[in-house]
Amino acid sequence: MSEVYSILREPLIGGNKTYTDITNDVCSPLERKPTYAWWFAFTISFTMLMAGVIAVTYLLTTGIGTWGLNNTIGWAFDITNFVFWIGIGHAGTLISAILFLFRQKWRTSVNRSAEAMTIFAVICAGIFPIIHMGRPWLAFFVIPYPNERGPLWVNFRSPLVWDMFAISTYFTISFVFWFVGLIPDLATIRDRAQSNFKRKIFGLLSFGWNGSNRTWSHYEKIYLLLAGLATPLVVSVHTIVSWDFATSVIPGWHTTIFPPYFVAGAVFSGFAMVLTLMLIVRKVLRFEEYITLHHVESMCKIIIATGGIVSMAYGTEYFIALYSGNEYEKFTFLNRALGPYSWSYWIMVSCNVITPQLFWFKNIRRNVALVFLLSIVINIGMWFERFVIITTSLTRDYLPASWDSYSPTSIEIATLVGSFGLFLTLFLLFARFLPMIAIGEVKGVLSYGRNKNGEHQ
Amino acid sequence: MSEYHHVKFEREQENIPHRGIDRRDFLKLSGFTFAGAFLAGCQAPSVDKAIPFLVKPEEVTPGLSSFYATTCGGCNASCGIITKNRDGRPIKIEGNPSHPISQGGLCAVGQAHILGLYDSQRLKNPVLFGKETSWEHVDTTLKTKLEEIKKGSGAVRFLSSTISSSAQRNVIAKFLSGFSDAKHIEYDALSVSAILDAHERTHGNRILPHYHFDQAEVIVALDADFLGTWISPVEFTKDYRKGKILNGNSSKFSFHVQVEANVSLTGSNADMRISLSPNAYKNFFHALASSIEGGNSSLPNVNELAAKLRSAKSKSLVVCGVNDIDLQVLTNSINHLLGNYGSTIDIEKPSKQYRGNDSELEHLFSEINDGKVSALFVYNCNPVYDIPNGNFLGKQMEKIPLSVSFSERNDETSGVTQCICPEHHSLESWNESEICAGVFSLSQPVLQPLGNTRSLTESLNSWMNVRQTAYETIRSEWQHSVFKRQNKENDFQKFWDTSVHDGFAEVEAGENIVQEFSKQSLQNISPSNIATDLALVLYPKISIRDGKHAHNPWLQELPDPITKIVWDNYVSISKKTAERFGIGENDVVEITAHISSVKRMVKLPAHIQQGMCDNVVAVALGYGRKGTERFTNIGPEWFEAEPTVKQGEFVGKNVAEFLQWANGNISYIVMQCSVAKTNEQYRLAATQEYHSLQMPKHLVSSDAERRPIIQETTFASYIKNNSAGSFPKHAYASMWGEEHPYNNHHWGMAIDLTKCTGCSACVIGCQSENNIPCVGKDEIARNREMTWIRIDRYFHEEENKFSVAFQPMMCHHCNNAPCETVCPVLATVHNEEGLNQQIYNRCVGTRYCSNNCPYKVRRFNWFDYEHGDEMHKLVLNPDVVVRERGVMEKCSFCIQRIQEAKIVAKRNGVVLHDGEIQPACQQSCPANAIVFGDMNDTHSELSQRMNDPRFYKALEEIGTRPAVGYMTLVRNSDEVRNV
Repeated sequence: MSEVYSILREPLIGGNKTYTDITNDVCSPLERKPTYAWWFAFTISFTMLMAGVIAVTYLLTTGIGTWGLNNTIGWAFDITNFVFWIGIGHAGTLISAILFLFRQKWRTSVNRSAEAMTIFAVICAGIFPIIHMGRPWLAFFVIPYPNERGPLWVNFRSPLVWDMFAISTYFTISFVFWFVGLIPDLATIRDRAQSNFKRKIFGLLSFGWNGSNRTWSHYEKIYLLLAGLATPLVVSVHTIVSWDFATSVIPGWHTTIFPPYFVAGAVFSGFAMVLTLMLIVRKVLRFEEYITLHHVESMCKIIIATGGIVSMAYGTEYFIALYSGNEYEKFTFLNRALGPYSWSYWIMVSCNVITPQLFWFKNIRRNVALVFLLSIVINIGMWFERFVIITTSLTRDYLPASWDSYSPTSIEIATLVGSFGLFLTLFLLFARFLPMIAIGEVKGVLSYGRNKNGEHQ
Repeated sequence: MSEYHHVKFEREQENIPHRGIDRRDFLKLSGFTFAGAFLAGCQAPSVDKAIPFLVKPEEVTPGLSSFYATTCGGCNASCGIITKNRDGRPIKIEGNPSHPISQGGLCAVGQAHILGLYDSQRLKNPVLFGKETSWEHVDTTLKTKLEEIKKGSGAVRFLSSTISSSAQRNVIAKFLSGFSDAKHIEYDALSVSAILDAHERTHGNRILPHYHFDQAEVIVALDADFLGTWISPVEFTKDYRKGKILNGNSSKFSFHVQVEANVSLTGSNADMRISLSPNAYKNFFHALASSIEGGNSSLPNVNELAAKLRSAKSKSLVVCGVNDIDLQVLTNSINHLLGNYGSTIDIEKPSKQYRGNDSELEHLFSEINDGKVSALFVYNCNPVYDIPNGNFLGKQMEKIPLSVSFSERNDETSGVTQCICPEHHSLESWNESEICAGVFSLSQPVLQPLGNTRSLTESLNSWMNVRQTAYETIRSEWQHSVFKRQNKENDFQKFWDTSVHDGFAEVEAGENIVQEFSKQSLQNISPSNIATDLALVLYPKISIRDGKHAHNPWLQELPDPITKIVWDNYVSISKKTAERFGIGENDVVEITAHISSVKRMVKLPAHIQQGMCDNVVAVALGYGRKGTERFTNIGPEWFEAEPTVKQGEFVGKNVAEFLQWANGNISYIVMQCSVAKTNEQYRLAATQEYHSLQMPKHLVSSDAERRPIIQETTFASYIKNNSAGSFPKHAYASMWGEEHPYNNHHWGMAIDLTKCTGCSACVIGCQSENNIPCVGKDEIARNREMTWIRIDRYFHEEENKFSVAFQPMMCHHCNNAPCETVCPVLATVHNEEGLNQQIYNRCVGTRYCSNNCPYKVRRFNWFDYEHGDEMHKLVLNPDVVVRERGVMEKCSFCIQRIQEAKIVAKRNGVVLHDGEIQPACQQSCPANAIVFGDMNDTHSELSQRMNDPRFYKALEEIGTRPAVGYMTLVRNSDEVRNV
């Protein structure tokens, strides 16, 4: 049933595993009580989440004034966080969908977690457009629903409406894709379930999966279709998000390079986040043989590629600013590097341009501790990139009399912390209750690099 | 594989779990929790009680406004105003276009003083010995006391600010005649007593001249803020503008030189500004006088000025705003030399706006000190607060057996008098005044008095056992004197009705005896001041003036035109002087001076001011007023917010203790003080952070040192080429064709930067008309000011040259608006008449529109901005929605006024004429800088302005196609200063 591969290739799954081994390795963490490590991590992330909940509740009851925004700078942490989280989600979709279409077998160890990460990132991201509104209880105004006021539709020219469509589509498709992919594994858990309750829940969730040939055949077809549907989202969603800025008139925002720049940046930061999470997961859950150094290396290579595009984009922006002769544009870029927020600019450049260049070196790529550290550095850099683009461009635009400065309030910082709290809480819950590795898919690549007897030369 | 089959078999025999969860639960679980949380808190407060009239009062139709002419009570200038009444009470004040003095203009204080009417701190009942009581009780008590005083020998003194109403003066005189030693003393907190005293010396009559700035081709002003706060700023602005007309070839442009230490509004509009320390003023005027007579002076600029003045004999005007008799005598002599008396300075028909006599006040002060005064009546002034040594006076008041104040509130003075008989607010009063000889202004009440207050006339009449109301008193006075001074109307009733309707009456000026200029007066001038190190200048701010309006949150939150700072006073200090003392912005400094041998100290935050004279510091008067502790609750209260005022503290600090008497006049200049830095810091809140069109030096790229936002040129260049100073025009190409066809009206606005003085009356006018809330100091510091129109102020300082430019900014109603394309919910759309509309109930508050606006004119409701005082709600304009938290707002071109005018025209079946619709900003502007109109009407004033070669649009190159444009700033200077 499984394909035969050359034993010259490095196996994707290390350690001479059998199918049973795979099932046991992935399912047994779900069947025992959570470890102290999990409780510790969960306590911390839940506390962070609660900080965010309190901050957001205060915001919703008191007003947007509790943030550090003002008449000149209307968006800062809120939209920075939004773009940051959406960007992170793109890695998961790329791994799940695009790498599937490209038949990159190595994706099978990480795609489940990566796709879960995408969904949680999109949830975190989706909160921000709602809470950043002055009157979020009327957020449904953005949706074109039939009504008796005209009918009054939405402004289809507005990038924020496109955002609404894009994010909701993204979430829906990602969720469906992820869930459909989960079904065989949920069935496995159902079959192994000891308690009645667990069997009922997982039975419900697995939709009565019976593992027959026809069922598998349908599954593979729909998986391919969903992968096909999800693939354009990797490019389109962040393109649309970038248009939030590119369609405006503000110097620093008004540029056509944003779609490819943002998409590359999204994949760049997303892979960094995948690495951050996976490197912990593989250590704690002892998945080193599933998420091997080969996987780590491959992800680092993608980081070099996308990081390179991002660096190119930085350079292009500067060149065009100078070449255009537009005095507002020239000023904006000089101001970024030398003005009052130059510290954020240089953090961005050092984290995003210099750091990925280290991944050219094989021994750095294969050094787990270093890769972990650098992945965090990259995410810090990418957060600052959005901050630099969004906030610092607004601080000094056309009329010097409107120039002002921005600093976050405690509510904004707590909200950012809370979004990380939500992300990590959801991820930890995922780790606790759902299989982190796609059992079915990994079994399918078990024989990669091995002969019929499962040996590797 | 076999394992798997085995498992499969087992499964088939099991019961498939029943799906107990139905669709509803599923939806619940899917995450509608957020929506649920929001639904809970979304109810808007509903109207509690809306009760219609049972019997409709004749004059009151709900929804229709009535207009009444009266006189502004904001300051002594007595500009004519028209109040707009709804539901029986005034909600908006406008200038009276027919008024001979103010000619339709109104300053910021005039616009704002309506809020002083709806003030819960105003006393609602008379107060006797600290307790509220009835008028009967007050009258009986006071009459008894007055009888006692009549028997005694003590002096009775009536202290008031300038009263130019002859009716009132007569009543006071009559009242005082009942006592053996009684006197009426007038003083003004912002005294120009020296001008009157000087004219007594030079022309034999103690008068304040009527200045005619429109007749002057050359104006030299020494520390006189005549466009801002000095004597009659609205009238002076109107007249000043008449001297500067840019009409292509038939242009005329006066030359205005301002010599001053502090940067004033007038100085920032001057064609030439000379920065001079106050201890050099006398030398300067001496030199100027001798240079005009033909001498040669070594002082810079003097000979040039003298030459210009000489070439404009009897068409020049030299004014001095320093309350020093020697300087004023010098001023008179210079004007005499130039032949200005009789043309630009009118002493035969003098002004009666200010009559205060500082030396009489000084005498009264010593009388009180010696215990000679038995009764003191204090009307319309606050001596304990604003005269030299006022605190001491407060303590001395206990010595006076009877002290009565007519103040409307419990202030510094009325708080220590035994009795307070609160007067009506000026909008509740019958009053009249002779503003200048022959021009009478009438005040009528525009609503029933809100509290149990009583006018001064009626109080005095009551104590004289005369039954006459204020109305009857004034009417009879007019019948006997004013009516007789004219012969156009024979029927008094008609004359009276017309006068009340118009708000003013013009009659014969009457006799005024003046002598020829007396050269002897020059002999008494003391020698020039010795140069001292650090001088202190005390000045009134355009919003707070003498402190009378310190309880008005609109005025406290009005950014000072020069510094753009709100809610505080501070020490203005030049950069060099600051460096000398190691002082930075917001550092608290201590100013020390010896005033009449008493050491006075005050701690205030420092503000580095460009253009300020070195070795001079300046502090604004009018702050530290009792009662301003109420502002601790203004602005949203959330946990990171700092209150506008700390509990129990006042807004700013009172610096009246630095005033002193000098040669019988109150001196606002302290020649020697010292400044020391303390370790404290105090955050000053300003609405503007960056003050120049020049880019920071380290961020400048070639050809881009100055942003092309304000076009500027000199008068000489303008004459040669009417479009001098224009930026290159941009050809606008559109891919979309004409998106918005304007078949009917196309509204637009043109703002003439040459005319705009920066006085900020438009800001308050807009705030009053459009229900714009006050947000408090913390919000301003966070750059969240709410006013829809702001005045951007740019400095330029290079070597010794300093210049200022003002640019009012409101929504430009762009034809290709960047905000309209990005609003997701269509809360901002374009209407068929060119307006960019903001639809409040659709706005969800994403703020993308504000981000995308290149002019940054949009205002967001960051919180629910509550009124500090519930009574302020009475001033709200019912035609304009009050916005909720989370909603974006901005200038609407006063769409309520546009709609009202269109409806009225339609109802009457007439065509709408140009000038019928005036947005609040245009209507308040004393300088006629703002013109609103229909672009599609080729005869409208707007179209004429748009066709003027000086017309341009800001940021045109972005392609916004704004409906608001500006006109080049022309100055009568030698070179373009290019702020």
